[in-house]
Amino acid sequence: MFKKISFTLLAMLLIGMLTSSVFAASNTVTILGVWTGAEAEAFNKMVAPFEAETGIKVEFTGTRDLPAVLTTQVEAGNPPDVSALPNPGQMIEFAKAGKLVDLSTFMDMDVLRSDYSPTWLDLGTYKGKLNGVFISADLKSLVWYSPKAFAAGGYTVPATWEEMIALSDKMVANGKTPWALGLESGAASGWAGTDWVEDIMLRTVEPEVYDLWVTHGISWVDDRVQRAFELFGQIALNEKYVYGGTNAVLTINFGDSPDALFTTPPNAYMHRQATFIKSFILDHFPKLVPGEDFDFFPFPPIDPQYGTPALGAADMFAMFNDTPEARKFMQYIVSPEAQGIWVGELGKLSANKRIDPAVYPDDLTRKAAKILSEASTFRFDGSDLMPSAVGGGSFWTGILDYVSGILLMNVLMTIETTALDAYRK
Amino acid sequence: MIKKLVSVFSHGPLHLVIIFVALIWILPSVGLLITSFRSSADVAASGWWTVFEHPFNFTRYTLENYQEVILKIGIGRAFLNTLLITIPATIIPILIASFAAYAFAWMEFPGRRFLFVILVGLLVVPLQMTMIPVLRIFNKLGIAGTFPGIWFAHTGYGLPLIIYLLYNFISGLPSELFDSSSIDGATPFQIFTRMVIPLSLPALASVTIFQFLWVWNDLLIALVYLGGTPAVAPLTVRISALVGSYGQDWELLTAAAFVSMALPLVLFLGLQRYFVKGILAGSVKG
Repeated sequence: MFKKISFTLLAMLLIGMLTSSVFAASNTVTILGVWTGAEAEAFNKMVAPFEAETGIKVEFTGTRDLPAVLTTQVEAGNPPDVSALPNPGQMIEFAKAGKLVDLSTFMDMDVLRSDYSPTWLDLGTYKGKLNGVFISADLKSLVWYSPKAFAAGGYTVPATWEEMIALSDKMVANGKTPWALGLESGAASGWAGTDWVEDIMLRTVEPEVYDLWVTHGISWVDDRVQRAFELFGQIALNEKYVYGGTNAVLTINFGDSPDALFTTPPNAYMHRQATFIKSFILDHFPKLVPGEDFDFFPFPPIDPQYGTPALGAADMFAMFNDTPEARKFMQYIVSPEAQGIWVGELGKLSANKRIDPAVYPDDLTRKAAKILSEASTFRFDGSDLMPSAVGGGSFWTGILDYVSGILLMNVLMTIETTALDAYRK
Repeated sequence: MIKKLVSVFSHGPLHLVIIFVALIWILPSVGLLITSFRSSADVAASGWWTVFEHPFNFTRYTLENYQEVILKIGIGRAFLNTLLITIPATIIPILIASFAAYAFAWMEFPGRRFLFVILVGLLVVPLQMTMIPVLRIFNKLGIAGTFPGIWFAHTGYGLPLIIYLLYNFISGLPSELFDSSSIDGATPFQIFTRMVIPLSLPALASVTIFQFLWVWNDLLIALVYLGGTPAVAPLTVRISALVGSYGQDWELLTAAAFVSMALPLVLFLGLQRYFVKGILAGSVKG
């Protein structure tokens, strides 16, 4: 018995040592990312030409637990060579701790400046050092609808907030439900509502005030924040406006909520969500044709002086180890060639200006790219920039509390209390 | 005959309750199993219970989830990695723990009580707290991202509980055994291999299952210490990467759950006899 066990053990040890020594080979670049499933496949497609051309092997790990894994590895002193970061806030944290490589030391800055709009470069810069580059973006300020259902009901696409509310009232008068809204998302429930509030904030205050709000320069009980919540409540809290009433808003999964637009007859007519929701719609209704069966219009302006700003999220990369392979990789991913493959696969929008619009999979994506590039103002998803206790905590739950009927002032006070604590650190 | 009937009636309510509880218990797994055989469009359109309207309409069932899972995660390599991690990470700690448990139970040495108190204290240390320091040590030793590294990690995390469980069992063995063996001239090592190990088989089998399942199902430790590249990633890491970052394609997870469950299920059913015995082992001291 003992002999057997020790023999097995020895054999395993040997196999383990042998197989594990293989991947310690040099000429590789290790990359950590949040992409899994179809996104990981698209990532592998993007790096395939790079591997073929340079002979450098890309060791990619995709995990949805990126913040935990990355923080642990950075603290322990063996970060990946290059890592995707969930948001610029995280980049600043790492930059403050001196963990990031200044990309301007080896990148061709002139090319970068001509390829990227200043907004993107500014977002990746901390204290004069370029610490992160963006490869793609998702546009959030979109309202999805079914052109066929709109035509059948005699509805037209609204150009302002008032028109949108008037349209909603008209639908209610016709015995229809205008909005499909779902906030459930497991432990992250409520985030879909934060996007609403952020989009409304961008349309009711100066961009600088939005930035102040994100950095807690203005309080959560500020009138302007209150107004944004109230405008959101004008739709979300109206039992006649939302499919299934407010109870359903709290319990329907964000990915399932647009389904209501495509039932016969439609259970709802409009759905505000980012570009990525297209893949959910096509997954649930494979026969729908983008542009014909479903389309979007930009989330309309509210106060005319602020126009139609764009709210978005973006995929960024930062470099932790200054190796020649990592340098080459960073130079590759900012190129339009690399991003063309990536956005073409996923229907994301490229951050590079030189991207050929033909790489986008359909007209819908080209339209979104146009909205993004022509937007008067672009702002990053605010909840992603706030400390996670707020942006990934009390802001989310605050949305749920508000929709479930808790008094707005109490909701905002609760968020403010956590914010006072979170921003002090 | 009458006696039987009486017992059926007197036990009837109890049996009904037990069957009811068992049904509730098994319901989520049944739902998972049924979902794993449905196409993604069906999963999105209706709940799994709707198949009971036409349970024998076999056109509604499909194997495509299983096909996709097996293709996408590179099942061969992932299974091999999981086995390469799990088998040593089960054998090593149990080997060490059985020595240690025997020593704690039957050998006199200075500091025994003190060491045992430390051991019990280690039971309550959350392993998440140890990750950064342990990973630092692994980096110094150059074993981060290697199989031996994760064996050590699992050994360390498993030892306190395994020693504690085995100690309870082994210390319950009758002392006469040890007295008579040493009178017959057996060394402590002989007593251990000839008497303690064979007598503790049920307890060893049950801790083996515990440790095996824990390592088999582990995602966090593998992801942090080993990383997620295909060369080393175990099943759990590959499976968790099947779902998109917004939770798309979750129906693949239902099939993946059964793929990863297959081997532990066989193991569990095979060793079930010992398992039930082993849970009771050490709970009553004779």
